[in-house]
Amino acid sequence: MKVTFPHMGNAWIVIQTLFESLNVEVVVPPSNSKQTLTMGTRLSPESACLPLKLNLGNYLEAAKEGADTIVITGGIGPCRFGYYGEVERQILRDAGYDYEVVTLEPPDGSLLGLAKRIRYLAGKDNSWAQILKALRFAYRKSVAMDRVEDLIHAARPRLPIPMETEKLYHDAKRRLAQTMSDKGVQDTVRWVQENIRERQEELGTPPEGFQKPLRIGIVGEIYTILDPYTSMGLEEELGRLGVEVDRSIYLSGWVGNHVFQGLAPGYRSIKSYPSHAKPYLPHFVGGHGQETVGAAVKFAQEGVNGIIQIFPLSCMPEIVAASVLPKIQEAYKVPIMTLIVDEHTGQAGIQTRLEAFVDLLERADLQRGIGQTRGDVLSVEGR
Amino acid sequence: MKIGFPRALYYFDYFPFWAGFFHQLGIEVVTSPPTHRRIMEQGLKKASDETCLPLKLLAGHIQALRDVDAIFLPRMVSVEADTYNCPKFLGIPESLFPAVPQGMPVLTVTLNWRKGKRRVLKDLTVFGVELGKSKSDIRKAFLEGQEWQKRYQDSRGSGWDFEESIRKIERTTKGLADLPAISSIPPKVQTIDRQRIALVGHSYLTQESYANLNLVARIRERADVELTEHVEQKEVDTHLLGLRKKLFWNHAKQIFGAGNKFVKDQEVDGIIYLSCFGCGTDSMIQELLARKAREQHKPYMVITLDEHSGEAGLVTRLEAFLDMVERRRAHEGNISTYGERLDRDSNTL
Repeated sequence: MKVTFPHMGNAWIVIQTLFESLNVEVVVPPSNSKQTLTMGTRLSPESACLPLKLNLGNYLEAAKEGADTIVITGGIGPCRFGYYGEVERQILRDAGYDYEVVTLEPPDGSLLGLAKRIRYLAGKDNSWAQILKALRFAYRKSVAMDRVEDLIHAARPRLPIPMETEKLYHDAKRRLAQTMSDKGVQDTVRWVQENIRERQEELGTPPEGFQKPLRIGIVGEIYTILDPYTSMGLEEELGRLGVEVDRSIYLSGWVGNHVFQGLAPGYRSIKSYPSHAKPYLPHFVGGHGQETVGAAVKFAQEGVNGIIQIFPLSCMPEIVAASVLPKIQEAYKVPIMTLIVDEHTGQAGIQTRLEAFVDLLERADLQRGIGQTRGDVLSVEGR
Repeated sequence: MKIGFPRALYYFDYFPFWAGFFHQLGIEVVTSPPTHRRIMEQGLKKASDETCLPLKLLAGHIQALRDVDAIFLPRMVSVEADTYNCPKFLGIPESLFPAVPQGMPVLTVTLNWRKGKRRVLKDLTVFGVELGKSKSDIRKAFLEGQEWQKRYQDSRGSGWDFEESIRKIERTTKGLADLPAISSIPPKVQTIDRQRIALVGHSYLTQESYANLNLVARIRERADVELTEHVEQKEVDTHLLGLRKKLFWNHAKQIFGAGNKFVKDQEVDGIIYLSCFGCGTDSMIQELLARKAREQHKPYMVITLDEHSGEAGLVTRLEAFLDMVERRRAHEGNISTYGERLDRDSNTL
């Protein structure tokens, strides 16, 4: 059995770790690329949302490397992601790929069924204690991954050479992917911190009247937020424009809430969002619709300069959220932009809109005329 | 007190329940007129661009409600155990506030059958008490609503006509006697050759004759029409059994179950799936049903509606499809083995 899974940003690092610590053979599909999307789109229903198309592309590419089992999480709606596993299985079977699809969810609410599926994946050699241990280590790694991402978010607008920051990020990801001990995980985070500190010291004290970077909160559908290929490198692009980004959902927060059912809080918990959303959207609407609204409120209260919502075309929960967001924009006087992505999205289009949005925010910020100094990266981390 | 009930979206399936509920409470229910051009235009102006046609129409109907004391927009989370409605139903009324005229109060109540009858009754009681009704009245009204809904659903079967049965309900709410039935179905032409076409899709599309450009009547000119509603619940359930994972949308279950039955039914010559642009549930169900249709070599066509649907385009496609089905019956009973997997990568056939 060779297990594969769909890509979602840096999630592969965590999933790979999980299976490798259980000695299960795992195939990490090649990163999302134009080819992935083209292959996936060919087999997908036309009006399915973008993540499904990329998922299928991932499986096709993984099949070339010998993968024969797919692991995917599920759900019982109302977001259509819950039915992905079954639809993908049928599509792949028709296309001549004999994949076994294991959906990690309690089938018809039966926890025993879930345990059976986990047992099937982990094989006979692993005890439940080992499985639990592997899960917990993978979870700790995902928290570390999120901390690194947050540091990079803060470093991008503040460090002078973008290429170096990206290299630091890339190296940190590689180190995290390779390390199999808690010490290694902690060391990587520390290594990133030290690297940033050194570079900041080289810069010396910023000149008088230096503006604090603009802050933009990113909210929306989890896949498009976490996956830089899908969002056309939204975070990197904004960082290069001198914006510090913060996002509503981090991988460990999602894992903590969905996989561990709230037993683990994650690096940045998403638990508080529904209560923030209450005045605008009191009922959950599936997916992360309510979280999007709640996060927008939270960002607005924290005083971000702007908010960007991103979701794949025809995403049902996010459409509901999108129709509520104008109220928040009005109530908190915070500009909100909605980006919708699909397989036809072009880099230049997104870039132009981002530049225009950032220009708009900068102008508003200049008019306020606050001469703040450049902030410190490390004080931002773990907010 | 007069409550406005927009003639869109949940009107087509769940209006009888609400009509019975309010009738028993002694509250008059006014519905908006059938969709016309102005309603659609108004809806397009006020609804969010990304949302689907039925919700845009709902936004239009909300604005078309005149001379009412309040507009009723229930949040219908779920109408049976273990299922949901589409996420967009869950976001009502918040996502439609921009369409509500200034100063018009909105009444809303959450209906969630996932949590059981007791919870539904509790939510309705809270809602009813706000309207100044007593608990026992609300309980009675709830039972009356269920009775109306049951009668409505039981009446569904072959030959059932939406317009006719809804007219009955609307007249009862106004306390008028029932009119003699004016059948809008043309008398059946008794020729053996007549095709039988199944039209599957959400009730708020198949019954919304303005938005679907009178599709049902158009098909009826040349063929007998079978609808999702004509299939008994029991039969729907048996045709859902083959699924490895249960569907969790109520409408999707009806559509797939009924569609699956039509695929296997030798009497049905072809299937038309009526969907609308951006429908999330249809994007999955359409794929599953297309697969079934392909296995059985059943002629299958998807029509996707949006606010730009043109009549000529629809008529051309419909004629071509019906011609194809007819010719297939006359000359080409079988598709050659060569063609068996030619359509493998096609999305719609």
